Amino acid sequence: MKFPSLFRRTPFRLTLLFLALFVAAAGSVLAWVYVASATEARARAEADVRSEVGVLASLYRARGVDALNQALVERSIRGGPNLYLLMDAQRKVITGNVSESPFEGTDSAGAGRWSTFRLTATDDEGRVENRQSIGVEMQMSGGEVLFVGQDIGDTEAYLGRLTQALWAAMLLVLLLGAGGGLIVSRNVERSMGRLNRVVQAVQNGDLKARADVRRSGDELDELGAGLNTMLDRLEVSMASIRHAGDAIAHDLRSPLTRMRAKMEVALIDAESGKTDGVEALHIALDEADALLKTFNTVLAIARLQAAAGRTPDPAVFDAADLAADMAELYEPAAEEKQMEFSAEIERGLLIEANQPFLAQALANLIDNAVKYTPAGGAVKLRARRRSSGEVEFSVTDTGPGVPAEDRERVTQRFVRLDNSRTEAGSGLGLSLVTAVIEAHGGRLMLDEGPGVHDGFGPGLRVAMVLPPAPAPTAAS
Amino acid sequence: MRILVVEDDSEAAAAMMRGLSEAGHEAVHAVDGAFGLLEAQKGGYDVYVVDRMMPRLDGVGMVETLRRDGDQTPVLFLSALGEVEDRVTGLKAGADDYLVKPYAFAELIARVEALSRRRETGSVATMLKVGDLEMNLIARTVHREGREIDLQPREFQLLEFLMRHAGQSVTRTMLLEKVWEYHFDPQTNVIDVHISRLRSKIDKGFDKAMLQTVRGAGYRLEA
Repeated sequence: MKFPSLFRRTPFRLTLLFLALFVAAAGSVLAWVYVASATEARARAEADVRSEVGVLASLYRARGVDALNQALVERSIRGGPNLYLLMDAQRKVITGNVSESPFEGTDSAGAGRWSTFRLTATDDEGRVENRQSIGVEMQMSGGEVLFVGQDIGDTEAYLGRLTQALWAAMLLVLLLGAGGGLIVSRNVERSMGRLNRVVQAVQNGDLKARADVRRSGDELDELGAGLNTMLDRLEVSMASIRHAGDAIAHDLRSPLTRMRAKMEVALIDAESGKTDGVEALHIALDEADALLKTFNTVLAIARLQAAAGRTPDPAVFDAADLAADMAELYEPAAEEKQMEFSAEIERGLLIEANQPFLAQALANLIDNAVKYTPAGGAVKLRARRRSSGEVEFSVTDTGPGVPAEDRERVTQRFVRLDNSRTEAGSGLGLSLVTAVIEAHGGRLMLDEGPGVHDGFGPGLRVAMVLPPAPAPTAAS
Repeated sequence: MRILVVEDDSEAAAAMMRGLSEAGHEAVHAVDGAFGLLEAQKGGYDVYVVDRMMPRLDGVGMVETLRRDGDQTPVLFLSALGEVEDRVTGLKAGADDYLVKPYAFAELIARVEALSRRRETGSVATMLKVGDLEMNLIARTVHREGREIDLQPREFQLLEFLMRHAGQSVTRTMLLEKVWEYHFDPQTNVIDVHISRLRSKIDKGFDKAMLQTVRGAGYRLEA
C-alpha cells in the first residue's frame, strides 16, 4: 500500500478521525485538570497566608510589635514554605526570612493586594533557583508593614511535570493510534481487495468469479457470501434469459418461414390472375395475426419461465367459478362438434393464482380436447380438491390420446404428433400450460383416458394440480 | 365523433387518423401527453385514444391529470405491453378500456365507438329497445314482435351488451372481455358458437336478421 493512497482508504481515514476526536477530548480533560490543580494550589496558598496574617495581626494588636517580632523570628527559624518580613514605617527591614518585600517600589505596597513573584533562593546543593511565590503586605496600626507570603514552587514544579507527562501521553496516543489505524486499514484493505477483485472480474464479464469466504462470520464475510449468492442468482437468470432468447428465435423462425411461403404463393396466384390482390392481402393479414399470436404466446412462456416459480400478479379466487365459466364458454363449441360435454365441479376451491394465465391454461386444455376428439366423442371437465388439499383441474377426452412414450414430449414447444398436423395450431398450447403450472408451483399430469370402446379412445386425461391458497392469517 | 389521438409514434398516429376518418370520425393528433392535455382542455372531444409510453408526459400521467381536473371523457388506453399489471395500471389511472398493440383497426374503431356510446346511456334504463326487439332489464325477459324469447343467463348478458351497442360493430375479444370478463385467447372461436346460438333464438322465424356478422371485425345488432 502506497502512503498517499493510504489516506484515501476508509478505515485509515476513520482511524484518523477517531484519533483526532480522542486527542481533542483527552486534551480538554487534561487541560481542565491542569487549570483546576493550579487554581486549587493557589487558593490553598492564599488561604494559608490569609490565616497567618490574621494570627500575626491579632498578636500585634494584643501584645505589640515586639511580640510580633519575636513570633516572626521563631517562625523563620522553624522553617517551612511561609515567607515573612516586618518593616518599620519607613520600610526599613526589622526582621524576616526574605531580604526585601516584592512590593518594594510598587504603588500597591502595603495596600493589602496579592502579588505573584519569583523568589530567588538557593537549594540544598547551593544552586540558585527562581521559585514561584505569592504574598500580601499590610500596614499595622503603629505604621509598621508586615509582609507574609508562601513559596509555591513545589506545586509549580509538580504542575510542570504533569504537563510534560500529558504531552508525552498525547504523543503516545497519536503514535499508537496511527499505527493501529495502519494495521486495521491494511487488514480491511486485504479483505475488501478480495471482494473488489471479484467485482472487477464480473465487470469484465467473468460471471464465474466468486469471493473466498473465510467463515469468520464477520460482516465482510457476510458481504462476500451475499455477493456470491447474488452472482449465483445472476448467473442463473442470465442463463435463462439466454435460453429464452434462443427459444424465441427458434420458435418464431418456423412460423415466419411458413408465413413467407404462404405469402409468396399468394403473390404468384395474384400475379397469374388466379386470385386478386385483395385475397393475397387477406391471407397475409391472417398470417401476420397468427404470427403475432404465436409471438405473444412465446413471450408469455418466456416470462413465466423467467418468473422461476413465482406466480406473476397472484390473486386469491374460487377456482370453481373459473372452471364453471370455462365449461359454459366451451360447451356450445363442443356440442357444435356433436360431442358430449360435461362438467363436474366441486364448490369452494380457493386458490392463489394469476387468473388470466390460469384461464388461458384451462382454455388450452379444453380446446385441445375438443379439437382432437372426433365427432360423437365426449369431453369432461372436472375441478376438485384432492385429499392433499391441492386443487385439481382435469380434462378427459375420448380422442386418440397420446402414447405413453410421447407424453413427456408433447409439453415441449412446437411438438405436434404426426396425426395432429392437420389441425390448426401452433404447437405451443401445452408448453404454455406447462409454463403456467410451473409458475404456480403446480404440476401437469398426462394419463390415458377412459380407454378404447365404441371406436373411440383410448383418450387422454390431462390434469393440472395446483397448491391450495395459503390459509388467511389469523391476525388479519 | 371527435376523437383526440395522443400518440408519439407519428406513423402509427397517421395510420390511426386515416382509419378513424374513414370510419367517419373527426380525429385530432397530439404528439405527447403534454400536448394531449393542452388539446383536451380545449374540450369538445367524445373519446381520447391515449398511448401509454410517450416522452414528457406519459399516458398514465395524462389520464390521471385529466381525471383530477374532472374531465370524464372516455379514454381508450393503447399499449405495446400486454401484461395484466399494465392493464390494471391503465384502468386504475382512469382509462375506460385498454387495447394492446398491434391491434386491428376494426378492433380500435369498435372499442372507440363502444366508449362514446357508454357515456350517452348515463341514465339507468329498465328497458332496452332495438327495432322490434325489447329487453326488460328488471323482469329479465326478451320479446321480439311481442313474442317472448327464452334466453340462458349468459345469452341474456350477451344480448344486453349487443343491444346497448346496437348499430356498432363489437369484436369477439370485446365480447369475451365485457360479457364473460376474461382476458385470454380462447384459441378457437368459441364466441362464434355462442353468437350463433343467440342468433338462432332471436332471428329464427323472423323476416329480418338483426344479428349481423361483420367481416374482419365481429358482430353488429341492427334494427
